[in-house]
Amino acid sequence: MAMRINERPPITVPGKIDICQPGSRVLANGVALHVLNCTDQDVARVSFVFRAGTAFQRTPFSASSAANLMAEGTKSFTAQQVAERLDFYGSFYEVSLDRDYAVITFVSLLKFFMQTLEIAREILLLPIFDENEIAIYCNKRKQRLAVERSKAAFQAREIFSQSIFGPEHPYGVSYPESYYDDVTREGLVEFYERRYTAENCFVVCSGKLDATTIDAIAALAGDIPHGENSGPGNFPAPHSIRSKYKKYDGAVQSAIRIGKLLFTRNHPDFVPMQVVTTILGGYFGSRLVHNLREEHGYTYGVYSAMANLEHAGYMAIATEIATEATRDALEQIFAETERLRNELVDPQELDMVRNIMTGEVMRVLDGPFGIADVTIENIQNGNGNDYLDRFLDTVRSITPEQVRDTAAKYLDKDSFTIVVVGDDPSGGTFGLEK
Amino acid sequence: MINYTEHTLANGLTVLAHHDIDTRMAAVNIVYKVGSRNENPDKTGFAHLFEHLMFRGTKRIPDFDKPVQEACGENNAFTGNDYTDYYITLPAENIETALWLESDRMTGLDITKKALETEKKVVIEEFNQRYLNQPYGDMWMLLRAMAYKVHPYRWATIGMTPEHIAGASLGDVKEFYHRWYNPSNAILSIAGDISEERAIRLAEKWFGGLKGEKLPVRRLPVEPLQSEARRLEVVRPVPATSVTVAFKMGGRLDRNFFDCDLISDLLAGGASARLNQSLVKEQGLFSAANAYVSGDVDPGLFIITGHLLPGVTVARGEAAIWSELDKLKNIPVSDYELEKVKNKFEANTIFGELNVMDKAMNLGFYKMLGDMSLLNGEVDIFRSINAGEVIEAARSTFRPETSSTLIYHPEKH
Repeated sequence: MAMRINERPPITVPGKIDICQPGSRVLANGVALHVLNCTDQDVARVSFVFRAGTAFQRTPFSASSAANLMAEGTKSFTAQQVAERLDFYGSFYEVSLDRDYAVITFVSLLKFFMQTLEIAREILLLPIFDENEIAIYCNKRKQRLAVERSKAAFQAREIFSQSIFGPEHPYGVSYPESYYDDVTREGLVEFYERRYTAENCFVVCSGKLDATTIDAIAALAGDIPHGENSGPGNFPAPHSIRSKYKKYDGAVQSAIRIGKLLFTRNHPDFVPMQVVTTILGGYFGSRLVHNLREEHGYTYGVYSAMANLEHAGYMAIATEIATEATRDALEQIFAETERLRNELVDPQELDMVRNIMTGEVMRVLDGPFGIADVTIENIQNGNGNDYLDRFLDTVRSITPEQVRDTAAKYLDKDSFTIVVVGDDPSGGTFGLEK
Repeated sequence: MINYTEHTLANGLTVLAHHDIDTRMAAVNIVYKVGSRNENPDKTGFAHLFEHLMFRGTKRIPDFDKPVQEACGENNAFTGNDYTDYYITLPAENIETALWLESDRMTGLDITKKALETEKKVVIEEFNQRYLNQPYGDMWMLLRAMAYKVHPYRWATIGMTPEHIAGASLGDVKEFYHRWYNPSNAILSIAGDISEERAIRLAEKWFGGLKGEKLPVRRLPVEPLQSEARRLEVVRPVPATSVTVAFKMGGRLDRNFFDCDLISDLLAGGASARLNQSLVKEQGLFSAANAYVSGDVDPGLFIITGHLLPGVTVARGEAAIWSELDKLKNIPVSDYELEKVKNKFEANTIFGELNVMDKAMNLGFYKMLGDMSLLNGEVDIFRSINAGEVIEAARSTFRPETSSTLIYHPEKH
């Protein structure tokens, strides 16, 4: 039998990330097409990115309904025919929507990609927004939203957005389920015609793409019609409140969200704050995980991160805490933010966090499609893919003093918004505003 | 398609290696052939609690996560009914860090009383977060308890009750560890930017010195054939009435498993599938409807579930589900529809093995099942199923006397 060995192997930290650069061209209608040809696997994907997020909608639920109903009936095909064709080719069709963007993605095996593009053309350019399909969709969504809102964590997320941006703000607003009853075909057509235009669009494709395939994608993207380049419209200054308690009868856990408005990704302190939030709660074994989970057993999980939108950025801490431990957990969270503001982070801990952030970038890039997601995000932020190396340079060069000073600047306890959805056993509000 | 090299160490550890030239990463996956089905009925949830404890440090390495993270890696684990899976992904040049850590905790775990007590609280919070504080969160617990009377699938991996977790002792921990965690009960799989030959050599280097133990044979109770329709109706604070019907089906290696998997795709494998087209869109009875197979090693469950729209009675919803099942039993599925679900299955299979973690996990899973020919062979099995076989499988599976029906009624305010 071999000798048992147990000395620790040496570690190598990968240097530069050799990320694939997209080949880019601008089509006649102004749409930029970015091609990532960097895999050997016989798969292909194309994402059409439109500035058509919920912040642009003039009537409730029109952005999400328009995005999701584009495939439910087109000029040449019924909703069922669209679904049949996509399923027959084993293609994936996915709509992802946030406050700023709608991303419509088609993925398929290479051998069915041209057929998939034909359906994509119908969905993107020729949706009819059939009345009957709208009614079915709204009934379905109404109930799904009711199910989501019966979860304390979901409520906390919605209330948190309202509390840091303001309940009417495009980034803060949420609507009652019943507003689905007022969704009209006119509202969807208006949204579609205003936002799904060449002026609001760019396209990213990836996979094993030959010239014919790329030309076919370009032909489709080149047919996206012109429209007005309307800005975000009403974008008032956000208004944050300090705290909010929402009672959830009989909750065995409190859903907690703590955070504050900061700045967007291109602010010089954004990456330093990403380091700060990673140390605080960005990985398994982070300070909050160590404190709340490993030391106290108050929670199954806790997380903190920076979030980036087009016109705003914020930091947030999220966790579900045993009801009876809620008050102490809040104190522990602020004890950890104070520690970051007042004490220098141990160089070994900082090194580990740098390596975690490096590994995270490499993991996202693994597989043929991760690179496409990264490219989309970089373009949205006005960056090229060389951003990743600059990002990692900043992460690698940050000092314990900078970490402390950044934390001291932005993690002032009194500047946070605290949201708790739960059931205070004392009959109170965990010390928060109602 | 995943090519691989297989090798068994003298201590019984199975090693599988796949060289992926498309990446700079590597994934190290370890399957231990123990899950919640191996638990004592008085101490359920223990395999999962134990999985948590595997991250609480050993005599030599008190913190498991730190070295992984220092090596730019990420790690996690999950517990199922049949097996427990641990995985690490990291840059390929740091693969030995992963092997060092996994070999160390395979035999060197050191759990203190304090660590156990804290971890019990964490798992109880997981119980609360995922099963009790969620609408329909206890569905699987109720369904399992109804569908199985004898087999340990009658409880969920989280356990029957938080009290079982609270009652776990250090003695239980030691006994479980000694019994199930050793090389002869484990499968190590490595996928990434590393040659298969070197991967096997490194497995020898790091695991060859561990002592193998012979496994005690554990025979699981066989679930008797169900011969009466079962039914449970509960009232919960949920926003919509839900209807769920579960049927007994074949084990993971049984031909019936593949038949049922294909049938679940006919019913719910995409927007064009039957339940969505018929129950949601044409008849307007459900807001959403789904069908899937549990995929357990021993005979598992075929589940059909949906949320009723307001004003639709349970009887009407159930009748609509049964009418879809009757169609499967009596009307041959068309060549077109068969081809569609087969294409979809093939695409899903390829999309399910795109990165190193998927590949390492798949290697470990099929070895655990005991039939490596399935790793790259399931698409062919799917392709071989014809319309007659679908009818036969539907007739033998969807019988009222092997069904268990679970209804959630919303509380009235």
